[in-house]
Amino acid sequence: MRHSVRAGHRARFMSMPLTTSVVALLALSGCGAPGSGAAAESSDEDRQSITEEVTPEQIADLGDVTLSVWADQAEEGLMEEVVPAFEDEYPNVTVDVTYKSFDDLIATVVNAAASSSPPDLFQGNIGHAVDGALVKGDLVRPLDDVADVYGWEEGTGASTLDPARWNDEGSAFGSGTLYGMSPISEVQGIYYNKEKLEELNLTAPDSVEDLEAGAAAADEAGEQAIMLGNSDQYAATHIFSDIAATTQDPADIAAWIGGDPDATFETEGNAEAAQTMAAWADAGYFGPGYDGISNQDAIARFADGEGVYFVGGSWNGAPLNSEEFGFGSLTSGGVGATASPWHISSSTDAELPAIAFLETLHSPEVGQQILDTGRLPVVTDGVTADDPLEEQTLTALEETIEAGTQVGYYDWATTDMLNQMGGTLQEVMAGRVSPEEFTEQVQEVWAEAHG
Amino acid sequence: MTVSRAEAKRPEASSKRRRQGSSRYSWSSLFYVAPALAFFIVFVIVPIVQSVRISFYRWDGITAATPVGFSNYVEVFTNPAMREALSHSLVLLFFYAALPVVIGLFLAGLMSRIRIYGLTWFRALLFLPQILSSVVVAVSWRDILAIDGPLNETLRAVGLGSITRAWLGDFGTALPAIGGIGTWVEYGLCMLLFLSGIASIDRSLYEAARLDGAGPIREFVSITLPSLRPQISIALILTITFALRNFDLIWNTTQGGPGTSTAVPSVYIYQDAFQNRLLGEASALAVVLTVLTLVIVGIVQLALRESPDRAPRSTPEPAQAPGKEERNS
Repeated sequence: MRHSVRAGHRARFMSMPLTTSVVALLALSGCGAPGSGAAAESSDEDRQSITEEVTPEQIADLGDVTLSVWADQAEEGLMEEVVPAFEDEYPNVTVDVTYKSFDDLIATVVNAAASSSPPDLFQGNIGHAVDGALVKGDLVRPLDDVADVYGWEEGTGASTLDPARWNDEGSAFGSGTLYGMSPISEVQGIYYNKEKLEELNLTAPDSVEDLEAGAAAADEAGEQAIMLGNSDQYAATHIFSDIAATTQDPADIAAWIGGDPDATFETEGNAEAAQTMAAWADAGYFGPGYDGISNQDAIARFADGEGVYFVGGSWNGAPLNSEEFGFGSLTSGGVGATASPWHISSSTDAELPAIAFLETLHSPEVGQQILDTGRLPVVTDGVTADDPLEEQTLTALEETIEAGTQVGYYDWATTDMLNQMGGTLQEVMAGRVSPEEFTEQVQEVWAEAHG
Repeated sequence: MTVSRAEAKRPEASSKRRRQGSSRYSWSSLFYVAPALAFFIVFVIVPIVQSVRISFYRWDGITAATPVGFSNYVEVFTNPAMREALSHSLVLLFFYAALPVVIGLFLAGLMSRIRIYGLTWFRALLFLPQILSSVVVAVSWRDILAIDGPLNETLRAVGLGSITRAWLGDFGTALPAIGGIGTWVEYGLCMLLFLSGIASIDRSLYEAARLDGAGPIREFVSITLPSLRPQISIALILTITFALRNFDLIWNTTQGGPGTSTAVPSVYIYQDAFQNRLLGEASALAVVLTVLTLVIVGIVQLALRESPDRAPRSTPEPAQAPGKEERNS
């Protein structure tokens, strides 16, 4: 009855899309489940391992080759140095680089790799969301033979390969088959405002205890102790991870992030670290309104002289000049990780040039170029810094690698960990959730993802 | 009376003619709509059907999917986070739909009565939020509402320093703050719709009301408001769909935070589909959101439809009214 008023008009109007959708539905239901057959083409049999270094002659024999590359926008400066040199060395190879913003890259690279014309060489991202999907879909070439031939497993960069190693099912990483290589590393630590430290009679921090004592003194003197911008929900998790690495064995954190079934987040150390975060927030060390400031705005404010400390990582260093700011390493538990690893497509027809390009990225010469463009290389042997802040950051990296505290980032643990942990940590810092509830909730998310 | 009766018949006759014509030329007319129809099918219908299909699978977008029946839907309806997100959407409905319509009515009523110098200029200015890119809007408001932003500066200047806060970073104020941005974006559109509606109201109705001794408020309630029924209906449909599917404003201001205090279904759809690679769950949630939007819009349309018994009062053109009355009796 209620529909009678407009039923006639409505029915005629609706019938067209309805019929077409039924037709479309029938057409679509003809094929199997979504995704079946997509990645099945590349098989293990026609994959060849290399046993010796790729020679320029081998590549020259290939004739004209185009190496298509997808890279993070942040690599553009580096690529502009590396690509021309590579093309000079291998004149028959044209390197065609497509740059994507980090967000765009991780949102699209898996689909691109699964497409009929994937890029030959591309950057993924450590963790289940991107690298895990690439490994599960059999979309990337295993690199154990390459690492072996070029000696990547020796020297300072060796341990940085671990996050790109996956088990056979693609369900856990940290050990197993190597699928990627990142030439760039990152280290977390404490940036400090030199002038303000001097005014407060404080020394450069090199532990969480130093930071806590300094923050209390700064707060007493009426300064904002720690500049934090947490509206993106991730900045506070980095501070939490610095603290958490001091309240437990860093190896346990790495195991949990990698998906080790015996690992748990419900540890006393994590609850204690969360408690510390809540206490610092309560004491006002992070200033007012940190949840309403973006991380980018926070680093800009710090660069303008607001706040005594900025707890972040080497990726934050670009806007800070070395006269006014210093970098305190956290030898007592500074964490860090490798940046987005590079992968070779499993269906590439430019395999040898791709391998040669990876080896170029892993060389000490490129390591120096990486440092000169404001990042940290994994190959630190024979690399020299040319300003004090860079020097401090490089030292911090070497120390954390040595101390075994390069545990990686929590958001690698599950695909949704960044939002889940970041959001709940905001609630802990606002005093709405207890540290124990926090560890319990985070563990629940992890357990759900790891079955 | 004879004239109006003849007029009353005419639409029927013409519609009959049109119907005949349409059946005779249906194939060639299909040819004209074919390009648009093809786009519509490829970019609207097919994705919708695909989403519905994917919602019954567990799929990471790459490897083969496993059918899971209705479990993705069960997940949507049993997950407390989803219920919380839906409740946030309801709050946003007030800010994104109800409030802009009320403000739009008020401004339109005001502008239509009072002669304002530079009216076009004001109209354009008030409509401006609607044409700005939502990312621009989000970034600007993030600055306005920041801890040391202009809003807090103003509050401090007038002695209200005690209530200043990071409006988007506070668990209690983040959702209303985003709602306020939505109100600001939407009211211009409502106002413009209502202004055009008011322009088509016969002035003689107002004259008659004034002769009967009606004041400005009485005029507004008895003539303007009922005559604007179709415009209000359209405004509500547009603003409600905007409210329920809104993503860009929230993502660019709070990303659903702090905590989950501003998370809405579309934030979870994005996270599941593009960050977590849970395309099945994302699709199920998207389907539920689409159905919910259709239901709410349907209810609004039903509630604001032009019912026959009210027709004479709300018909914009009174010239036709006698004719209709004739037919009805």
